[in-house]
Amino acid sequence: MNQSDLPRKEATVLRGHEGAVLAARFNGDGNYCLSCGKDRTIRLWNPHRGIHIKTYKSHGREVRDVHVTADNSKLISCGGDRQIYYWDVSTGRVIRRFRGHDSEVNAVKFNEYASVVVSAGYDRSLRVWDCRSHSTEPIQIIDSFLDSVMSVCLTKTEIIGGSVDGTVRTFDIRIGRELSDDLGQPVNCISLSNDGNCILASCLDSTLRLLDRTTGELLQEYKGHICKSYKTDCCLTNTDAHVTGGSEDGSIYFWDLVDASVVSKFQAHSSVVTSVSYHPKDNSMITSSVDGTIRVWKT
Amino acid sequence: MDSDEEDFVFYGTPIEREEEITSRRKKSIAEASGHLRTLPPWKQEVTDEEGRRRFHGAFTGGFSAGYYNTAGSKEGWTPQSFTSSRKNRAEVKQQNILNFLDEDEKTELEGKSFGTSSEFDTFGFTAAELARKQAEKEQQQRPSAIPGPVPDELVLPATESIGVKLLLKMGWRRGRSIRDSHADSLYESRREARKALLAFSSDDAKTQLTDSEHGESHLESSVEQPVNDDVQSSRSTPVYVLNPKQDLHGLGYDPFKHAPEFRERKRSRLSDNRKPGYSKALSMKESLFGFKSGKVGPGFGIGALEEYDAEDEDVYGTAYDFEDTIVQEVEVEEPSGVTKDRRPRLLGKEQGVLPGFIVASKSDYQLERFDPPAVPKNFVPHHKFSGPLETNKKFADPPPPEVPPPGENNMKLLIDGVATLVARCGKLFEDLSREKNQNNPLFTFLTGGNGHDYYARKLWEERQKRNDQTMLAMDGKSSLADQKMTAESRGKLLGEKPLERSSKDLSSSVASENAIHMQYNLSDTFTKSASYSELPEIIKPFKEDPAKQDRFERFLKEKYQGGLRSTDSGKASNMSEAARAHERMDFEAVAEAIGKGKHGKESLLSTLQFMGVSPAGGMQFTSGGLEQAKDAQAENLTTKNTYPRREEFQWRPSPILCKRFDLTDPFMGKPPPAPRMRSKMDSLIFMSDSVKPTKLEESDAVNKGPYPTPQSDAQEMSKIGETEVEVKVEVENVERPVDLYKAIFSDDSDDEAETFDHKKVVEPEKKIEVAHTALNHLRAGDFLESLGKELGLEVPPELPYLMSKAKTPAPQKEITNAVAKTPVSGTPVDRAVLQHRGTTQEGESLKKTFIPGNSQSSGGKFRETEEDARAKSPSSRNRNRSSSWSSEDERSRKRSRRHRYRSSDSYSDLSGDDRDRYRSKSKGRKKGSSREKSSSSRRKHNKHKHRDSPSRSYNDAEGKKEKKKRRERD
Repeated sequence: MNQSDLPRKEATVLRGHEGAVLAARFNGDGNYCLSCGKDRTIRLWNPHRGIHIKTYKSHGREVRDVHVTADNSKLISCGGDRQIYYWDVSTGRVIRRFRGHDSEVNAVKFNEYASVVVSAGYDRSLRVWDCRSHSTEPIQIIDSFLDSVMSVCLTKTEIIGGSVDGTVRTFDIRIGRELSDDLGQPVNCISLSNDGNCILASCLDSTLRLLDRTTGELLQEYKGHICKSYKTDCCLTNTDAHVTGGSEDGSIYFWDLVDASVVSKFQAHSSVVTSVSYHPKDNSMITSSVDGTIRVWKT
Repeated sequence: MDSDEEDFVFYGTPIEREEEITSRRKKSIAEASGHLRTLPPWKQEVTDEEGRRRFHGAFTGGFSAGYYNTAGSKEGWTPQSFTSSRKNRAEVKQQNILNFLDEDEKTELEGKSFGTSSEFDTFGFTAAELARKQAEKEQQQRPSAIPGPVPDELVLPATESIGVKLLLKMGWRRGRSIRDSHADSLYESRREARKALLAFSSDDAKTQLTDSEHGESHLESSVEQPVNDDVQSSRSTPVYVLNPKQDLHGLGYDPFKHAPEFRERKRSRLSDNRKPGYSKALSMKESLFGFKSGKVGPGFGIGALEEYDAEDEDVYGTAYDFEDTIVQEVEVEEPSGVTKDRRPRLLGKEQGVLPGFIVASKSDYQLERFDPPAVPKNFVPHHKFSGPLETNKKFADPPPPEVPPPGENNMKLLIDGVATLVARCGKLFEDLSREKNQNNPLFTFLTGGNGHDYYARKLWEERQKRNDQTMLAMDGKSSLADQKMTAESRGKLLGEKPLERSSKDLSSSVASENAIHMQYNLSDTFTKSASYSELPEIIKPFKEDPAKQDRFERFLKEKYQGGLRSTDSGKASNMSEAARAHERMDFEAVAEAIGKGKHGKESLLSTLQFMGVSPAGGMQFTSGGLEQAKDAQAENLTTKNTYPRREEFQWRPSPILCKRFDLTDPFMGKPPPAPRMRSKMDSLIFMSDSVKPTKLEESDAVNKGPYPTPQSDAQEMSKIGETEVEVKVEVENVERPVDLYKAIFSDDSDDEAETFDHKKVVEPEKKIEVAHTALNHLRAGDFLESLGKELGLEVPPELPYLMSKAKTPAPQKEITNAVAKTPVSGTPVDRAVLQHRGTTQEGESLKKTFIPGNSQSSGGKFRETEEDARAKSPSSRNRNRSSSWSSEDERSRKRSRRHRYRSSDSYSDLSGDDRDRYRSKSKGRKKGSSREKSSSSRRKHNKHKHRDSPSRSYNDAEGKKEKKKRRERD
């Protein structure tokens, strides 16, 4: 991918959230996006046409993360009310509520088959919930973290969690093994590369670190942005050629994956960028910010 | 009668007699005509001819009110439920307006409806209608071959309409067009005039004119021609398409398109049914201009020479017509079935595919082709191995062919020896020996002479062997030769030091520290060393301090060599933890510098120089120039090297999680995993100042027990003051809680609880005190639990051991509250403390009693800890097992023993009545214990709940305890 192909032009601004938007995520095919924020709502948008489609309300406090199944039929969301809501997308009704986290839930993800939900909480645990049965008890609690778990990623066989204790822990279900990669700095977001071989971890020392998953080796560090106290997301572009992330001053950074140079940097929001999500196929990106907007970026 | 009536009580309404009814009718008639009229309307009653009352009020008549009145059916307005079963089909009623009309209304309707009389039936509609009705009626009466209603067209108006009559009188004949024939001539004359004008205007046009005239004449003749009867008859206005759609096919769909013979058959059948003689006559083709087919069909009545108008064109009919004629022709020419068959086949061939299918213009199916992946221009098709290069490369060498050794034994030996040497020392040796022995006939094999092949083979073999060895040394994997390697020999090979049994002196501080180190060591034992082969030359930067130098060397060894690290506790213990950490950092930096120095001799020198310059035991690099930068770099490097740090643990996914991820459970059918090592950090944090947090914790634990119970009598209240002090004392005594578990779990004390006697009681005071505290919690928890059961309350758990015993309903806040205001919470403490006054033995026995319950509850870390504890002494384990089976008896026995001990307890400072109270309580406990078994199933549940319990600080305490325990065990 060329540098000129990076999405730098603002295509649409999605307004509607009252207060900070905490996360914005593309769905599986990138045609829609979901956002959630401090106004306790989850919103479904068509980012390409700039249309607000639906609002999901039920959370009692801010919604911190949202994820949608691959077939776009179900949503999962979590937030400050310590609960995880399992939604039906079309009707907007809550199918189930998972309670059990002792405090705020920071992140939530479906697995590949949407049979299981993994949530990461401030209570230093990852909890796995079953969507198939009617039980609302977690089927597994992973409590080896020493501090708040901020982010979770799932592969077909693994659960990966990033925590403020500075570790990125990979739980391999197939082998029954936990790999703990201590980065020495609080990790507030992790994201998988598209080939699944690397983890990008955003640390609170204003550094993004790229780890090789097989060896645990530090491949590269990306610096320049500010990330000291907020949970700001980072991700790789869909070609894995660049690394992108938001900064607390409202700008978006693009780094070259290999030589870690800042390829592009522009002011996107007036306030902290909370979340970035890259389109799975096109050169397009959405960012959300504390200023209450979600912006769609295209080339 | 009257007297009878007075005597009897009548139920129901009497049946009216016939005469009474008739009399009533008479009466009603009379009334209707008579005086009723004089009554005001609201008092009048409407009756039918029978004299019964008709209109009821809403509340008097009910559903039946409508029975005779409005709805002329039996059911009236009574709601009905529609039922229809397979056997008993509900008949579908065709509803009609007439169904809802009364008789009088019907007659009224009849009278109101208009109809033309037959005299003025201009278009014959009424007559047709009547005729149809007649026919229908007839059909219903007699069975007919054709089911259903008679088609309209079959029934023709019986009478001549007035219009037809008039037309006929005007000279119109049937079948002829009503159009004025003069219209054509008028048009013609006008055209003529126009042409004449044109002819006058130009001579040139004359030829044209003649031409056109010629054509005109032609036309005229052709127009004139149809003025015979036949043509004229076809000129009449086309009757509206007399081919109503009677089938259930879609519009325009012709089921007989490719099977016209069937159509013919059907039609013939139809026509047979209709008018036998008529249609047959017409189906014959007598003349070109005659009727094509006498009956239905598009284009009926259109003359062959008449132009088609847009209206006339039958959009759907063309194909039909075509087929029709064809079939007819075929039928006329050759009525044999064979030819009939041939047609559709031909037609099919024209279409190219199966009949009924059409070749698609574009096909969806396309063969997808994938381009081969583009090879980058700079790609060199040669793989580079990243690992230890040499060995791999050698490994990859293809083996030379196996060659039998040369005849002479000497020669063979020589070759073997050289090959071994070369393999060991490298190619250089071969070259050297080749040069040296150029003229030596014995060494011709080196230059390609006799025995070279054998040499090559041998060399390869040697190298292979060597590789194997190095690999083995590196990986520590047993090769074929070393299959029977014992743990010790492997350890030796790897340079591990055999694990030393920790000293049994448990009370000393060294032991605990040792244990800490042990864990420390264990966690680091199997870390991969940075480089296998090259140990950096030992440089002595700390010459002045031999002890330090020693430590440094050891550090270097640890750094570059795998294996277990030895820690001299004696030496280490006289250094503070901070100083040690500092020194370690120092060593790290120096080692870094040395490592760098090896790459460039210059820097090595400078480092050495620098080392020399640095003062004795210099802790810091007080460097200048080059070193400054290097130092920073080194520091950066160290951080980079330390992070990211990878650790690996065992983790057990729950079976259902595996199922949901569609994976097989790696732990299927295996016992729960071993307890997992916490990171060093934890142990370090709690190592130096473990007293403080534990003290807090203990007090917490003690105070957690006293969950306020409603039973707080005045007597106990009065005791609060003292007990509070007591608790304090207890807490103060906890100096080394680390040792407490050792006191309980360690081998010697574990061995025989049965034969335990007063000898042990005379052990060092500290230890006993410590054990006391442990006991306190254990027993307090146990006791409280039983008490709680008695009272029907839930009691918060005390220690990890008791975890499964009870649930913690009390949130943290409440506990702290309880701590704050002792008056309420003090009472249970009181009890607990009273109970605490036991001996170590009691603790022992108590502990034993807990184990069975725990093992039943199973799962999680707690069980593992137990198992570990049990593993330490097989005898105790056996006992435990037995106790788990016969826990009930055992427990009661122990309890009685406890009483015995109690009485002989020298440390007991209880007053008599206190003891008594305890006894009474313990009785209660006994009672409670009988319920234990039944509650064991509940425990599991409780435990599960507990793990989710919202009090995090509680979990913390628990975690810390666990850690401590683990450390202790190590």
